[in-house]
Amino acid sequence: MRIKPFEYHAASDLREAVQMLSEEGADARALAGGTDLVLAMKHKAVLPKKVVSLHRITEMAAINTEGDEIKIGALATHSELAAHLELQKVVPILCQAVSLIGSWQIRNSATIGGNLAHASPAADSAAPLLALDATLVTTSPSGDENIPLASFFSGPGATILHPGQIIKEIIILRPQGRSSGRYLKLMRKRAVDLSQAGVAFQAELDPAGEKLAKVAIGLGGMAPTPIRAPEAEGMLEGLSCAEALKKIPSVARAVVAATSPIDDIRASAAYRKLVAEAFFKQAAQEVLTSLTAG
Amino acid sequence: MKIPIEFVVNGEPQALFVKPNHTLLDVLRDDLGLLGAKKGCGEGKCGTCTVIMDGKPVNSCLILAPRADGSDIITVEGLADGEPHPMQKAFVEQGAVQCGFCTPGMIMTACALLDEKSDPSEEEIRLALSGNLCRCTGYAKIVEAVQVCAQRIQQDKGA
Repeated sequence: MRIKPFEYHAASDLREAVQMLSEEGADARALAGGTDLVLAMKHKAVLPKKVVSLHRITEMAAINTEGDEIKIGALATHSELAAHLELQKVVPILCQAVSLIGSWQIRNSATIGGNLAHASPAADSAAPLLALDATLVTTSPSGDENIPLASFFSGPGATILHPGQIIKEIIILRPQGRSSGRYLKLMRKRAVDLSQAGVAFQAELDPAGEKLAKVAIGLGGMAPTPIRAPEAEGMLEGLSCAEALKKIPSVARAVVAATSPIDDIRASAAYRKLVAEAFFKQAAQEVLTSLTAG
Repeated sequence: MKIPIEFVVNGEPQALFVKPNHTLLDVLRDDLGLLGAKKGCGEGKCGTCTVIMDGKPVNSCLILAPRADGSDIITVEGLADGEPHPMQKAFVEQGAVQCGFCTPGMIMTACALLDEKSDPSEEEIRLALSGNLCRCTGYAKIVEAVQVCAQRIQQDKGA
């Protein structure tokens, strides 16, 4: 598994990185943690002429939870996110999801920005971030641009990023009311496995703590890209937790109706649908019960 | 074109010229002659290439050589201090080594775990080691070795 020769450059700042990437166009790749890119280069699936490493741009790894906008640098590793005490408090669903990626070694290298840019339909960070209405701040030589994660993926392994445009940070709005979330992932084994199906359920109560102000369902491995299930979400919003708990079975069917999984080596489409339905029920049950308990 | 890098390996500063299309594992094995870390799957799945990079266990087969610039690396060769490291002793005594191919990676991950948490539960040990595959032992003896090592380090501290 030799890697084909390429030109390497470690960018010293963001401007230099995007300038270089845009000059080389599609022949250049940005290197974050490398756990996807280096593997793809070993497999000759990607043959870049130039690799621009971002690792010296240390501000891209910062995690800032101080304001109403939680800002996660694209180079934050999964280990850093999983262990971040404030994130565990505010958006536990994200910490749960990234702690299930790869192995300890992989999570120490792999980054959240890389996980999104790789655009696997089953990316474990994508379903919870979709459910958290995350926005990506991207940067290119022509400046910064905010892209809602919901419009970022364009197909399996594909995004709307153009050459020279990279993810700089991820913004999540701090939940205003009391909130809770759960991510469940189906794996063949407990580590170093891609998700066969992943279900993220995030719910937030209104300021009075009575009704569900926001319900978000993110699904991974269930369509050509990570998706939301807006119709199912609408069936729960505005209800009390007690009312919502009773509706879980019918909402679960609406969740499955939103999906279009494929048969592949990891699971059949029919099995994925069964699992998504069961996982949704379990995740919703846990989240709504915890919100009821207060 | 080769790239100059400077890094510290097992406490010794190294200055080398590396090929960008080589990995950290290639540099350790081929340029520095440190054959402890093994090349197994080459894909970050088996963990036998595990080394400690800046305090954290990583798969050296997935790290491009120039990325090691400025880093601090510990390989299994860097553990023994005159005599074997307590983790190495525990692996030998508990019979946690059979063919031995996974052992360097197992030991590095296990040492990193005890650096982070001196008294891990069995579950925590198994979770930490879940990126290290062993096809011989069935893992039980490896987990026991880590437990024994953790207890000994605790006792030595108490003594």
